[in-house]
Formats: sequence, C-alpha cells, structure tokens
Amino acid sequence: MSEGHPAKGSEGRRVAGLLAAATLAATSASGAATGSPVEVTFLGAPSSAETIATGEVLYAEHCAACHGENREGQPDWRRRLDTGRMPAPPQDGSGHSFTHSDAHLFAMTKSGIEAVVPGYESDMPAFEDILGDAEIIAILSFVKANWPEAKRIFQAGLPGMDKGTSGQ
Amino acid sequence: MTDFKQLRLNRRAFMGGVMGASILGTTSALGAATPAGARAVAFTGSGAVAIGDAFLTSEDGGASWRQGARPDRKLVALATHPERPNRLIVALEDGGVAVSHNEGKRLVPAGRGLPATEIGALATAARLPDTLYAAIPGDGLWRSEDAGESWDFVMDRPFIAGEERDVLSLASVDLASGMGGIWLYGGSTGGLQRVPDCFCRWQDVQPEHALDALIEGATAPDTVPLPSGEPVRALISSPAAPNRLWAALPSGIWATADAGLIWGKANSLVATTLASEPTNPDTLIAASPEGLWHSRDAGLTWATSTIL
Repeated sequence: MSEGHPAKGSEGRRVAGLLAAATLAATSASGAATGSPVEVTFLGAPSSAETIATGEVLYAEHCAACHGENREGQPDWRRRLDTGRMPAPPQDGSGHSFTHSDAHLFAMTKSGIEAVVPGYESDMPAFEDILGDAEIIAILSFVKANWPEAKRIFQAGLPGMDKGTSGQ
Repeated sequence: MTDFKQLRLNRRAFMGGVMGASILGTTSALGAATPAGARAVAFTGSGAVAIGDAFLTSEDGGASWRQGARPDRKLVALATHPERPNRLIVALEDGGVAVSHNEGKRLVPAGRGLPATEIGALATAARLPDTLYAAIPGDGLWRSEDAGESWDFVMDRPFIAGEERDVLSLASVDLASGMGGIWLYGGSTGGLQRVPDCFCRWQDVQPEHALDALIEGATAPDTVPLPSGEPVRALISSPAAPNRLWAALPSGIWATADAGLIWGKANSLVATTLASEPTNPDTLIAASPEGLWHSRDAGLTWATSTIL
C-alpha cells in the first residue's frame, strides 16, 4: 500500500473508455425520466427522480453495509483499521466524497480506488462485475441528491465537472 | 533569483547541476557561532525567528541573530504566515500550542481539543492563514481553522511499507490538488507522502492531480523520489514558487523544482529544520545540531550564521 506508480497509458485509456460509456449511460438515464428534472446531475446529465429512487434501493443493497444505512460512514472513519486500511467514509456530505468529481466517483465505484490512485489498498471492491453503469450512476445520483446543497455547489466547481469527464 | 521553469531548463539538467553543486559544501563565518539547540526556524514580517533552547531573532534573512526574551516554556515547533506578519504560533514542549501576535514577546496558550502530547510538526495552510495543521506522533493529523484556538482530528498517519509512520515535517504546498483545494505534504519516518487538504488519503507524489493519473492515460514522466529509508526531518515549500521544495534528511538537504517528482541532493548539510523566505526562493535558513545556517542560492551552499 502507498507505493504509488505512474499512470499506464493502456489502463488510462481503459478508464477513459469507461467514463465515456458512463456518460452515455447517464444520458440514457436522463432520457428515461418521466418527471420534471431535479437539480442533481451526474456526468453533466440531469439525474431524474426515478434514477435517484432507483439509486436509493441499490445503495441499501450494495453500499449501506459499509457506508451506513444513513450514509454516515463507519465509526471513527478518520482512523485506520488494524489492517492499515481506512474505514468507509460517510456519503452524507460530512466526509470527502464531494471533493471528487463525478468522473472520479464513477471510476472508483466501478473499477475500485486503485483504478485512480495506483497502489492504494482499500476494502471497497470494484463493482464492475456486480453493477451496471446505469446502476452505479443511479447510486451516485442518490448520494449526491442527499448532500447538503453547499457540498453539491462545491463539487460542481471541481476541475472537470463542467466537461462531465475527467478532472483535467 | 533562479526560476528554472522560466529559464526552460530541463529538469534533469537542473537536478544534475544541483547534485554537482553539493560539493561546494558549507562555509564558516568569522563572527561568534549561534547557539545549538534550535528546534524550528521561520520567516516573519520583520525577519526571522529561531526557537528551541533559545529564542533568537534575525533582521537580515538569517545571516546574523540576536538573543530574544526566553519564553517560560520550551518551544518545539513554529508556524508563521506572510499574511500574519507579526504572528507566531508555537508548539510547546509536553503538548499544546500558544499564539503570539507580537513576534513572540507574549505567548497566549491555545490549542483546545488537542491531545496533551507534544506536537511533531506544525504548519500553516498556504492559502488560509488562520488554518493550521499539527502532526502528533502515535496519533495523526489535526487541523485548526481559527488560528490555533480549537482543533479537530482530520487524518490518520501515513501508511508506508506496511506500517503507520509518524509525520516529522509538514508543508502546505500551494498547488491545486484537483479536489477543490491544495496539497499538504508530510515528511515521515518512512519517507514523503502528501494528502489533499480534503483529507481523503495519504498517497505518494505522482504526476498531475490526485486521481487523474490513470484516467488521463498520458505517458507518465520520470520520477526520482527521495532516498528510501531516511526520515524527512524538515520539509518546506517556497510560498513564491510552490513547485520548489526542500527536504532535510540525514543524508543532507534535497531539493525539487517540480513539486516532488524529481529530487536531487543540494548539499550535505545535516539540518533539522528549514525555512524559506516568502518572496525569494533562493533565501533559506536552516538549523543543524551545530547551530544556524543561511543560504542565498536555494540551498546549494550554506554559510554559518553568527550571533550579535
């Protein structure tokens, strides 16, 4: 752990491809909306109320065991576990998720933290074999919808958020 | 002042020059030597201060020093900020911090919330003069957002080569992390890492923003890290040129011009603390077990400072 390595081009292109696919999925999800658009967006596309509701169900099924039923994170989440790994942080806006762009949140959820921080070990698995892109987007839309508005505004100003792609 | 980026010098050429220059070594001054035992040095609005067994002040960038009033408690770490020219925030032996608004003439106890344990490293946030960070051995990283009055735990210690490492030195580096803030670099018993000031995770220094290495897919530049296995006793970033950092290791003073991707040995001086003049990256001061030193060429050569 903590022995970072420089980016590898082929892996980078793979993740970039995932993001492109996710952008399409987000657009699709938005197009399926039946209600009026909500203020929450993901990868540049509005997240519909239906998507957010789907995300709530999926969050309870796949995320709540670690991140908390109310997205409060694991107890004492700023201090390491005995394994050396960090506990699951809150997703309610009191942690640091809002300091990550949509692209990073998606990539970390789909491919694991190590996909974006090389060498970093985490208890959070990659969900690419468990959830589809649209499902990941639904979960993250639900999470974002429940951040305090100030946190959503902060996140909207991060590098790359205006492009709906990576942080550069 | 030398700005390597403005001169468009190749980084390898620069660092090769740095390594070659290390043979220039150090020079002794003719005046009386400064006392040993300085634990921290820093630039202030009127010059510089050195704390530890003595309390010294300098008005000429650390070339000569005068004895100041000795505080009633021993001071072990020090933080200043260019936007608070008269303010010193000091860590106290046996724990806690104190604040002075007149360059040390009067110290007021602060530090609500901090454990009663001696602080190992103290730094001011580069962009937020009232935000401070303190690293506590065996514990982790604490933050104050009210100039040292109250503190909260924000991050555990770095985890390097299978174990948690105590942070010995901290430097707030005014370079965007890509996560809405800047970087906090930590020199530990096991080497150098950095954490975005949102405190999501300690990580090695890698190109570009915190999470973009793979997503960008670009060819990564070469990196030359600090020598492994050495504690990073002191670490500073130039406020005027944040890409330029200096680290004090047992093997000497090391420098980087690219925020820590490529390091080279600048000099063999075994320093225990460093400071960079806020407007001039070439002007540095240091303390070693023998006394105080100053450099006017970004750490390539050092001269002993004198006591007046």
